[in-house]
Amino acid sequence: MLRRRVSWDVTNSLAMDDVHPSSDSIEEEATTKCYSDGFDDNEDPFFLSDDDFVGGDDGAADALLEDIKEDEIDLLKHKQQDYKILNTAEIRQRMERDVAEVSTVLSISKDEASILLRNYNWSVSKVNDSWFTDEFEVREKVGLEKLVVSSDLSSNKRKIITCGICFEPYTSDRIRYAYCGHLYCEICWSAYISTSINNDGTGCLMLRCPEPSCRAAIGQYMIDSLASEEDRKKYSDFLVRSYVEDNRTTKWCPSPACEHAIEFSGADGIFDVTCRCFTSFCWNCKEECHRPMDCDAVKKWILKNSSESENVNYILAYCKPCPNCKRPIEKNHGCMHMTCRVCRNEFCWLCLGPWKGHANCNRYMEKTDTEDRRKKLAKESLEKYTHYFERWDANRKSRLKALADHQRVKNEEFKKLSESQDIPEAYLEFITKAWLQVVECRRALEWSYAYGYYLPDKDPAKKQFFEYLQGEAESTLEKLHNCVESELKEFLDVGGLSKKFSEFRTKLVGLTTVTGNYFEKLVRALENGLCDVNSHVIKGSEDEVEDRWHCDRCTYANPSSLKSCKMCFIK
Amino acid sequence: MANSNLPRRIIKETQRLLSEPAPGISASPSEDNMRYFNVMILGPTQSPYEGTFVQLLIGGVFKLELFLPEEYPMAAPKVRFLTKIYHPNIDKLGRICLDILKDKWSPALQIRTVLLSIQALLSAPNPDDPLSENIAKHWKTNEAEAVETAKEWTRLYASGA
Ligand SMILES: [Zn+2]
Ligand SMILES: [Zn+2]
Ligand SMILES: [Zn+2]
Ligand SMILES: [Zn+2]
Ligand SMILES: [Zn+2]
Ligand SMILES: [Zn+2]
Ligand SMILES: [Zn+2]
Repeated sequence: MLRRRVSWDVTNSLAMDDVHPSSDSIEEEATTKCYSDGFDDNEDPFFLSDDDFVGGDDGAADALLEDIKEDEIDLLKHKQQDYKILNTAEIRQRMERDVAEVSTVLSISKDEASILLRNYNWSVSKVNDSWFTDEFEVREKVGLEKLVVSSDLSSNKRKIITCGICFEPYTSDRIRYAYCGHLYCEICWSAYISTSINNDGTGCLMLRCPEPSCRAAIGQYMIDSLASEEDRKKYSDFLVRSYVEDNRTTKWCPSPACEHAIEFSGADGIFDVTCRCFTSFCWNCKEECHRPMDCDAVKKWILKNSSESENVNYILAYCKPCPNCKRPIEKNHGCMHMTCRVCRNEFCWLCLGPWKGHANCNRYMEKTDTEDRRKKLAKESLEKYTHYFERWDANRKSRLKALADHQRVKNEEFKKLSESQDIPEAYLEFITKAWLQVVECRRALEWSYAYGYYLPDKDPAKKQFFEYLQGEAESTLEKLHNCVESELKEFLDVGGLSKKFSEFRTKLVGLTTVTGNYFEKLVRALENGLCDVNSHVIKGSEDEVEDRWHCDRCTYANPSSLKSCKMCFIK
Repeated sequence: MANSNLPRRIIKETQRLLSEPAPGISASPSEDNMRYFNVMILGPTQSPYEGTFVQLLIGGVFKLELFLPEEYPMAAPKVRFLTKIYHPNIDKLGRICLDILKDKWSPALQIRTVLLSIQALLSAPNPDDPLSENIAKHWKTNEAEAVETAKEWTRLYASGA
């Protein structure tokens, strides 16, 4: 299989500003989830196929630029998703659109339409259905019963009326009433409305007439004409909140600093959405994206973490002693490859083993000792949990670090880099892709460790298969992360190294692809409950583990039957 | 009197409370603070809080205090039993669990309606929405015995003295 599709695709999380207007994208999304192919085999020049790959040849610059244009078009085309990210103004627009629609269809005022929608969780179809089933029942329920006001109130503006709250006499032009006709003065209405807006939260949207036996609704019109500017602003913010929170098709981005909402009008299901602020979360449970784990297992894991937090708190420390010279080392890199600044010892942050020849520290080894059996079991269960938790947590931190690094590089270094290398900034898109690949893979790796914790010990073949896939994926990810983190640095200060830079590009692009392939394999296998474990034993271990050579450029493990690298076509 | 700018509403309510008191309820403002009321509620007949007949009706008099906060009538009055009472919706400190004193308050309600509601609460204790867990449990597990205790407390504390 020489033409590999890049399925662990990072463009999905890049920008999905638009809801595709036609239904076919929704169908496509529903079946492919976030693994939908961001690139078509023939169209994408960066992500390699055997016949159109553009290598690190300096002379190919023009061709490259051409490719980039195509690539950008490609990216734009793949922005289509069946969810949309909304800012506050867009949320308001939607709210107004829905209110206008209900108002037109039911021939009622916008004020009434808005009250109706609030009572039916902003579902236009529910409002319509209920209204046409029994208009009077609906009117009674939401407080929109027909008005019965003495007609001389409007005809005789000089009539004196005593306010039902302050007991002061007022001329009728200073008396106001809601849909029911209970009379109170403007001052008392303002105080009543203000008290509710400032004390009841979104409850003020359901405000009713002050008369205790009356259920008449207080609508936007009353608020606009009686509340202070400050209160009107608060009220309008509550409306936005209600529109997002009560509406089944929208949810807030869970990031506390972000004010965007996500709109998704398809069927409910587990799929990942990414906000404009780059926060990704699971639409179903609103936790961060957690493939390949399912929502229930995630809940269990998070609960477990909070109950175990005291036991494993020491693990969270950012410092560890260098395994060689014992001096404390702080982890400030995103990848797990550590180098002690004092003795230059290179080791793995997670297992503290030497980095050289490092592999498979993802494997949980059961310790055997002769302690009292019960004590041993208890200790082992904590040790097992600790093993998975530490790796889950380390990948999580690494992911957040990668996200921050990517932002920083993009904001601060791209311009410099494009000047020193004399290439357009658009050409640096491959670096962004690599970073985003790191982020997505860190996330999957993070959750694969939680997955591993719940993998039954009874099935050693599955466990072995799991650890094999995870180990492969993890080690390519470390290479990719190291490449985009450390090797990129060399080009940030020094200019005029185009030849080397294009080699770097080739390597990074290759690694991005290979890492994606490994993770796709891992995630697919875990989501299938590792049911391919048997084919792995026959094909997997012999063919894949033993008879392979690693490409110098992209590090892809090629079968020995191939002469040139399957990934980057070198040699 | 330091109540020169008392809202007309409070003045009117006070006048009416004094001139046409509700049956079994008396409320009069304190001399030095027109927002503070001394209240007496007679335990309703047929309830464990009614007085005892010995030629005359004796006891069953519950003292309360009622205070109108600055925000009144936008905020509910603050009311508290001063007489000890054995009731599932009233705690040791005399605080009352009553919806119109909290989230169901409306500025269209008045002191009179509040006191009538409290009187009604004495007739119909609601152990399902308790303020006093122990008393509510007592009420639910052995209502007859709880009623006896309430009667006992009425005799002991609600003498009106
Ligand atoms: Zn008024
Ligand atoms: Zn009304
Ligand atoms: Zn966001
Ligand atoms: Zn979920
Ligand atoms: Zn060292
Ligand atoms: Zn390791
Ligand atoms: Zn290669």
